[in-house]
Amino acid sequence: MQQVMIIEDDPAIREELKLLLKNEGYRPLPVEDFTDIAGQAAQWGPDLILLDIGLPGRDGFSLCAGLRRSVSVPIIFVTSRDSSLDEIQALSLGGDDYITKPYNVPVLLARIKAALRRNGNSSEAEVLETRGLRLHLTRGMVSAGTKSVLLTRNELQILACLMGRPGDIVPRAELMETLWDNQIYIDDNTLSVNMTRLRGKLEELGLPDLIKTRRGMGYQL
Amino acid sequence: MTISAFVSDRLGRILLQAILTVASMGFLLATGTQAGVVGILMLVWLLVILCVQSMDYLKAHGRLEELETIMERLDRKYLFLECVPAPRTAYERSLLELLRRAGKSMIETVSDAQAAQREYRDYVESWVHEIKTPITAAGLICRSAEPRLRQKLSQELAHIEAHVERALFYARAESPEKDFIVRQSSLSDIAATAISRHRTLLIQSGVRVETKNLEHTVYTDNKWAVFILGQLLQNAARYRGREPLVTLSARQLGKQVQLQVQDNGMGIPAHELPRIFDRGFTGSNGRSRGGSTGMGLYLCRLLANCLEINLQITSEEGKETTVILTFPARED
Repeated sequence: MQQVMIIEDDPAIREELKLLLKNEGYRPLPVEDFTDIAGQAAQWGPDLILLDIGLPGRDGFSLCAGLRRSVSVPIIFVTSRDSSLDEIQALSLGGDDYITKPYNVPVLLARIKAALRRNGNSSEAEVLETRGLRLHLTRGMVSAGTKSVLLTRNELQILACLMGRPGDIVPRAELMETLWDNQIYIDDNTLSVNMTRLRGKLEELGLPDLIKTRRGMGYQL
Repeated sequence: MTISAFVSDRLGRILLQAILTVASMGFLLATGTQAGVVGILMLVWLLVILCVQSMDYLKAHGRLEELETIMERLDRKYLFLECVPAPRTAYERSLLELLRRAGKSMIETVSDAQAAQREYRDYVESWVHEIKTPITAAGLICRSAEPRLRQKLSQELAHIEAHVERALFYARAESPEKDFIVRQSSLSDIAATAISRHRTLLIQSGVRVETKNLEHTVYTDNKWAVFILGQLLQNAARYRGREPLVTLSARQLGKQVQLQVQDNGMGIPAHELPRIFDRGFTGSNGRSRGGSTGMGLYLCRLLANCLEINLQITSEEGKETTVILTFPARED
């Protein structure tokens, strides 16, 4: 399990990030004591560090420079300071990415994934597997048993979003937001059309009623 | 300084001299001086007075002309006293000294006001950064709410965020040490970030977004550009019509890049177009819908000017609004 160190002084955000990362299959390592962060980082050996810039006592910039001396894992700045100058400073001090608060959660997760993948120690599967369904993300293909079908980009994103949260009801608006984050600006009608096509393809695989519609709430796998 | 003004300034003196002349001539005549001699004396005396007054006039006139030229050539008028040539008379010196004291006190007042303003601006900026922490926390917490509640809450949070963002950029745009950095940026990235940032509003307003030919490189500060574009997208969502659609497209124009943001919304009445960039101007659409602040486009223009982006808006009421942003060419 990959470990993500959370350096964030606001207790509410720290707690929520901890829950979020746990749900996403990471092991969160929240820092509670801000006196010797670099020492804790070296001791815990995280795979990735989320770093807030405004910390008690010292600022995240100098901390980043200090961390860089002891660890080489990706550091993502998560901060409410959002000028271009701050961003350039963060990246030039050895930060790998820079996300401004308030962030949207899917984007934060995608950036974490991307940073881990770039670092090469990602255990992230290129294949998602739920309910007897195998989704090959890079090949854009879904298979069940011995049968398989190709998916379009939209269908792939929709299915990946649903398979990422098996059992949850995913509202239509949230599905659309996920697609929009991938620069697919679909509207309500297009989503319905894509959903129908996706169900048709799943039917070809012999799984006709896999995606359930929960009227007025959303979709559920 | 006109001659009449000069004369009216010295009217008392001139009258006194005339009266004295007439009186002394009368005295001379009474004591038996020949009328011819008195006449010549009077003529000569009047000539002397005229010469002296004319010379005084020319001197004062020349001096004033000189000072006026200095003032006119000055870019910053308040530096006038620093550029004035050395005073010629004790009177002038005293006057300039008084002016200098007045100027000094004015400078102190202005710099006090500037310092107060800067402090306030700094406070606004740090406040905005502080408020983002609880907004972020609220956003994370609201994820565990049930779907319908989550949707409503995230909509409200998006509203709060938009207002906070405007306050931040207002403080920034008004600050003399503007903290933008012009860099090579990808227009499609800017557009994607702006759309993603306002996706909740756009999706819930049912706005369709189309992007065309955005693969251009622009030289700008992408944070500021994202903000400007975000204001335009929010307007498109707020003032939408039926089957709302926003189209973002770009084209190369010589060395410049033009981004066009077009919507099929309610448009802007022609007589309101010249005022849409005014601070606090809400227009009939804003007034009829309520909740408009009249700050969005004002800030767009303010920031665009800093970045040397040309901002043009055309509209046909009830049909469409087109905003054209022309990004400056790279300075080689």
